[in-house]
Amino acid sequence: MSSVPQVKKDELNRRDFMRCAGVVGGGVALGVGAVVSARGSAPPESPMGPATVRKLPEPKTVPVNDEADILVRMQADLRRALTKPVEERRWKMIIDTRKCVGCHACTVACIAENKLPPGVVYRPVMTEELGAYPNVQMRFFPRPCMQCDRPSCTSVCPVRATYKRPDGVVVVDYDRCIGCRYCLSACPYGARTSDYGHYYTDDTPALQAYEQLPNHEYGKSWDRKGHHSPKGNARKCQFCLHRLDQGLLPQCVTTCIGRANYFGDIRDAGSIVARMATKPNFIKLLEEKQTEPTVTYLI
Amino acid sequence: MKTMSRFFFLLWGIAFAFGLYGIIMKFMTAERLAGYGSYVPWGLWIAVYFHFIGIAGGVFAVGTIGYFLNIDGFRESLRVMILVSGVSIACGLFSVWLDLGQPFRALNILLLPNFGSMMAFNAWMYNFFMLAIIAIFFLSLNKNSQADINDRSGWLVPLLALGFLLSIAYPSQSGAFFGVVDAKPFWNSPLLPLLFLGSAITSGAAVLLLIHILLFHDTFNLRHQPYKMLRLTVIGGIIFYFICEFAEFSLVFWSPNSDIREAVELVMFGPFWWVFWVVHLGGAILSVLLLFAGRSDQAVGLGAFIVATTFISARLNVLIPGQAVPQLKGLQNAFHHSRLRFEYHPSLNEYMVAVFVAALAVGLVYIGIRLISNYTSKKIGAAL
Repeated sequence: MSSVPQVKKDELNRRDFMRCAGVVGGGVALGVGAVVSARGSAPPESPMGPATVRKLPEPKTVPVNDEADILVRMQADLRRALTKPVEERRWKMIIDTRKCVGCHACTVACIAENKLPPGVVYRPVMTEELGAYPNVQMRFFPRPCMQCDRPSCTSVCPVRATYKRPDGVVVVDYDRCIGCRYCLSACPYGARTSDYGHYYTDDTPALQAYEQLPNHEYGKSWDRKGHHSPKGNARKCQFCLHRLDQGLLPQCVTTCIGRANYFGDIRDAGSIVARMATKPNFIKLLEEKQTEPTVTYLI
Repeated sequence: MKTMSRFFFLLWGIAFAFGLYGIIMKFMTAERLAGYGSYVPWGLWIAVYFHFIGIAGGVFAVGTIGYFLNIDGFRESLRVMILVSGVSIACGLFSVWLDLGQPFRALNILLLPNFGSMMAFNAWMYNFFMLAIIAIFFLSLNKNSQADINDRSGWLVPLLALGFLLSIAYPSQSGAFFGVVDAKPFWNSPLLPLLFLGSAITSGAAVLLLIHILLFHDTFNLRHQPYKMLRLTVIGGIIFYFICEFAEFSLVFWSPNSDIREAVELVMFGPFWWVFWVVHLGGAILSVLLLFAGRSDQAVGLGAFIVATTFISARLNVLIPGQAVPQLKGLQNAFHHSRLRFEYHPSLNEYMVAVFVAALAVGLVYIGIRLISNYTSKKIGAAL
């Protein structure tokens, strides 16, 4: 008589193994699928096409020719770029360190334009000392967001609140950002700062009216009262998109007393910035990070 | 014994009250009392988060291995293991939630995820893990006897296997979370996921050991299972962690131009040198001695407690030095503000909140054991 083998209840049987393999395999496949599909998906939709074309009036009183101030000429370049849809423009900034005198006017102008609170800065100016006394020289590196072509800050965002627009500007969707600050860690340039909710007149009897005004980044009105965005959000330079949209150069470019900034559409061969981009004496900050910064420096 | 219990209860009450005040202040002031900034954007709360996440994963992974191998004590303590793991992950997530600039948008990670981000991927893993352990808990009540490996439906084991996979995946991903940040050379190391997994297993096994000593000291002999396996796991984990750390640090000092030398020097000789030498190394040596040579519940329990608490230094020693070395050297002096510094000292509020989270975890485990024991007694006639 053959005996029926007893099923041991304290050990795994074949059915258990099959179920385990199915559940674990399914879980792994789900995870891999999610990552692969996320890596292949497009960034959040930005407005594109003819709706983004801007036809701005030409100034009548200021002549635009080779003799004109470089700001006037770059303004004309800008108006020309805006006649193209956004996906055909590519904004670029070149900073001539030989012209920068380290006055920090751009830093201050940026703070005023974007109504930046204490602890938030988009364009600090770094100072480099070369040589040793008595043969000493200083060099200045304004550091806006580099608007990298391969930004390390966007892919880490867990909610796709930050992404690269078709015109190359890396933006933050304040309404979506959860304030995890992963993008701050991921940026090698330290170009992102978090808004920790400070005011210049903290610990005084009353907050002053000027710092309670809304700012207009991204063409919207952002009121920081309460704990509203951009409080608690990652913030960064966006080439003053709200100004560009009105045909105005970024505030830092306009304010520069040394005319050290070149700004415009690199895809417009006739633009000043496109011509300056051919100069061989340029450098990129932290080039070894392979982020392909759009902002470059002439040295 | 009663006096000891009263003393610990009083200690817990003080810690909870102290931490509660910190939490209230935190909610009233958002992040304004925190010491971190924009150049060191993650501080103590993130270390607490990763520590608790590691414990959650470690407890479950070690507990499941013991369960599958039918080592004495593990099948009996399955629900305790689930409770401790669940409380740990909940407290870790609470800590990171407090760290968010816009905490009430945290659900965006689940509703609008970018799975290309290690953070979103981790967040989803935590949620799957929590769902799995809830299901495991209820399925464990459906067994014919405690000694059975599977429940009557046959789904307990597959879910345990899935939970095991998740419990080793997300602590490793905690390392990958930092490892993928190319901007920080100190983090950008393939060793990091292994270090995080190693510390998770070590601290998780230490917590399991502590729980077993507290709850089952009358049932099992200290020289036998499950203590034997747990003690060996903790000791082995500590040795593994320090071998990895030695491999990394010795290469740095051997190399003439290491990218991460500044960060490693900060770990060992920076302002928080004592975190490495006293808390991390000192704590590890003391606990190995206690776990190896301890002959009493108190000695072994103390060793486990030291590991469970001091291993947070393993997180801190990765987290802070990685951020405290600027890539652009002139950045800190370019614009001055307390939030724009590469030095980081946790603020009093951060310490208070960290104490609150730790006290909350202990309280939830204590209350959970009582409440769930009542429930399981009614359901299957056995305590938790």
